[in-house]
Amino acid sequence: MKRLLPASLALAVALCITGCDSNKPTTTGPLLPNKNPFPSTYQIPSAAVLVIQNANLLTGANEQLDSTDLIVENGKITAIGADLAVPENAQVVDASGKWLTPGLIDVHSHMGVYPAPETSNHSDGNEMTSPVTAQVWAEHSVWPEDPQFEKALAGGVTTVQILPGSGNLIGGRGVTLKNVPSITVQGMKFPDAPYSLKMACGENPKRVYGSKGILPSTRMGNMAGYRSAWIEAKAYKKTWDDYVSDFNAGLDVDPPLRDLRLETLTGVLEGDIRVHNHCYKVDEMAQMVDMAKEFGYSIAAFHHAVEGYKAAPMLAAENICGVMWADWWGFKQEAFDMVRENLALVDHAQACAIIHSDDPIQVQRLNQEIAKAMSAGNRMGLNISHAKAIGWGTLNAAKSLGLDDRIGSLEVGKNADLVLWSGEPLSVYSHAEKVWIDGALRFDRADASVQPTSDFNLGILTEGEARP
Amino acid sequence: MKNLIAPLVLSLLATTVAAESLLIKGADIYTAKAVLPATDLYIDNGRITAIGNTAPSTADRIIDGNGKSISPGLFNADTHLGVVEVGAIDATVDFYSELSSITASFKVADAFNPKSTLFPHNRVHGLTHALTVPEAGAGLFAGQVALIELGQPAKVINDSVAIAVDFTESGVSHAGNSRASALAVLRQNLDDAIAFSANKAAAMRGDSRDYSLSLADLQALEPVINGRTPLLVKTHRASDIRTILKVAKDYRLKLILSGAVEGWLVADEIAAAKVPVIMDPIINLPQSYEKLGARLDNAKLLADAGVTLVFTGMDGQSTHNAYLVRQSAGNAVANGLDKTTAIAAMTLNPATLFGANVKGEIATGAVADLVLWSGDPLDVTSEAELVLIDGVPAAMVSRALQLRDRYYEAATK
Repeated sequence: MKRLLPASLALAVALCITGCDSNKPTTTGPLLPNKNPFPSTYQIPSAAVLVIQNANLLTGANEQLDSTDLIVENGKITAIGADLAVPENAQVVDASGKWLTPGLIDVHSHMGVYPAPETSNHSDGNEMTSPVTAQVWAEHSVWPEDPQFEKALAGGVTTVQILPGSGNLIGGRGVTLKNVPSITVQGMKFPDAPYSLKMACGENPKRVYGSKGILPSTRMGNMAGYRSAWIEAKAYKKTWDDYVSDFNAGLDVDPPLRDLRLETLTGVLEGDIRVHNHCYKVDEMAQMVDMAKEFGYSIAAFHHAVEGYKAAPMLAAENICGVMWADWWGFKQEAFDMVRENLALVDHAQACAIIHSDDPIQVQRLNQEIAKAMSAGNRMGLNISHAKAIGWGTLNAAKSLGLDDRIGSLEVGKNADLVLWSGEPLSVYSHAEKVWIDGALRFDRADASVQPTSDFNLGILTEGEARP
Repeated sequence: MKNLIAPLVLSLLATTVAAESLLIKGADIYTAKAVLPATDLYIDNGRITAIGNTAPSTADRIIDGNGKSISPGLFNADTHLGVVEVGAIDATVDFYSELSSITASFKVADAFNPKSTLFPHNRVHGLTHALTVPEAGAGLFAGQVALIELGQPAKVINDSVAIAVDFTESGVSHAGNSRASALAVLRQNLDDAIAFSANKAAAMRGDSRDYSLSLADLQALEPVINGRTPLLVKTHRASDIRTILKVAKDYRLKLILSGAVEGWLVADEIAAAKVPVIMDPIINLPQSYEKLGARLDNAKLLADAGVTLVFTGMDGQSTHNAYLVRQSAGNAVANGLDKTTAIAAMTLNPATLFGANVKGEIATGAVADLVLWSGDPLDVTSEAELVLIDGVPAAMVSRALQLRDRYYEAATK
């Protein structure tokens, strides 16, 4: 068994949160904004060495390994193979006849910012007071007690990207969370995950602002709105670049006044913040691609890419992920051209295909959504294996978040985010039996004490009763 | 183009004409009352004429059903099919009335569009029947529920199988915005319908006291207060369900409950009143304060208590993807519901309850209204390979399939 990481990993991570921030203002360098003012306080709980024996693995990396063991130590996968020796004091899980996958990742969720119950007091996902609100951060709206989180966990979802809504051209920063119970959002934040920026094409922004009589009321207004924002951001970035070079030249200069809105856009231009762009239609995707080139940033993913199959060659060429539903359509004109083979066709074009929910019911069964998309592709003869398809909710999703070096596949050295399924993961009849995040058991279908329940549920659910 | 073999095969199947005889050999048959493993099914002239070893060994067309399954055609009991094309385009939305004078009398069937693209899309995935249910727009009464068939063309089978009432948090906002005021309004409406019925001639002459509903609405309610047409009441909270059960008892109404997210809490009372429940078994979130008790085994708990279940689903896609009622049913089974009960809840039960033109059951002598599935009838990796609606094979074409083929061909040239 190869041990890749020191036992003190958890401690190291914890120390990093306060001690490793190179961007902290110091008296010796230029005074730069703190890029991480709301640091993660997530800690990996200590857990015994875990050995999962004799599971059928779908690794997430287009691989199926039958009757295989997997060992977890200090939150990381340390060995995968047949008949592995069991370390002393290890906890052994017999997974014969069961299936193991990486934790599922939902890259498009509004849990916490649009929690249940859906009431106006907690409706915090769309700052629809200006078409460009890059200054708002979804994490500041997340209600950690949203009872939707625990249901997603029971469905095997270990990582979620929480995004602002799509009412604005630029809606603000998204945040990647580990799906663990916490009384603060900081306790859920995925340490050192890149931030994202939510942008939105099409009908929503023009409807929201058109009805208020301000730009944009048209798609051309949409484009003008984004471009104006990027022009401002370029100018803002230059003021800081000039400040740093003047400082480094020994001049006595004060830093420019911070502007939260432009600071986030500058983060995109500098490549720190990843663009997740709500965009249904191929013609609009092509314009967003051109605009990204005009201003020198890249797009990580097009979300709700209902016309992904029309854009597939472009997605492949531009290295942009298509984030799609299996079958949603018809609620808006821009969602009218749905095909059930969308993920399969994007994948077939060698582009990065990702399933997403955007929905608290569907997030609980992303495996079924993947299954439907795979089945549609197979029906037309695309021969998609389960091993391939599971990647649409694991490794590809991790890639779009900039986290594929840490999560998304069962590989030695990666975080032990694991789901043990009662049967084939892509079946309606299978349940997530156990869910581990960083090697810690966070959900157990057979053990009510490992079924987190939000404060909200107390006194509402019958005491001691965990509801499916 | 070699990858397009499967769709081509499907289109060949679709050209089977009704008059032909068809033998499906060795599929698992889910009749809606039982499961017949690896059994032959013989269809002649659009009718099921033999099941099992009585089936002739040859036919005009023979399909190997090995590893496949057959179920009755799917029935989704809570849709807006035929009265919406694009949700956000108001001009295509005809499922609610904003006139307070047209509520119980609001008849969605009058707005029915048989050319809707939603019909082929749902047909190719095995949906053969549905209820088109109006939503409340200007009062507690939403209007008259239509029973429709997704044949070619799609058509209205019965334009008034029930009258819908919305007694959810949203519905009561049309009646004083309190459950208490809504209940008073409902009772007043029913009292007025009774009074109107007894004094119809005078009322039509304009020789009566003021009523709480328009004459059109009062007339529409006549079959309800006479117990002929069911009142279909959408409501979720356990205490609201009790309220409605009491109203139905007091007025001797034929009641059907819809929604019933907290139904499991009052399952015995619903069963004792012999009231069927239309529900989506996938709903397990406290989406609103009337749904705090939501749970995935609501269907199982209701069935255990003896309640007749009728399914809709899945969640917000119950119109454009009304065929996904099958996925909701599959999840109910994954959470404890008996499989045959689940299949009956989207075939036999609604067909019987609403008097469909098909039995909703695979039975000798019945018109063939059924689906051949590539695998398990409820699993998400099974596809509809053959759909017979009221004895006629469905063309396996839809706008989505046309789009798919257009772009796949372009990509592989």
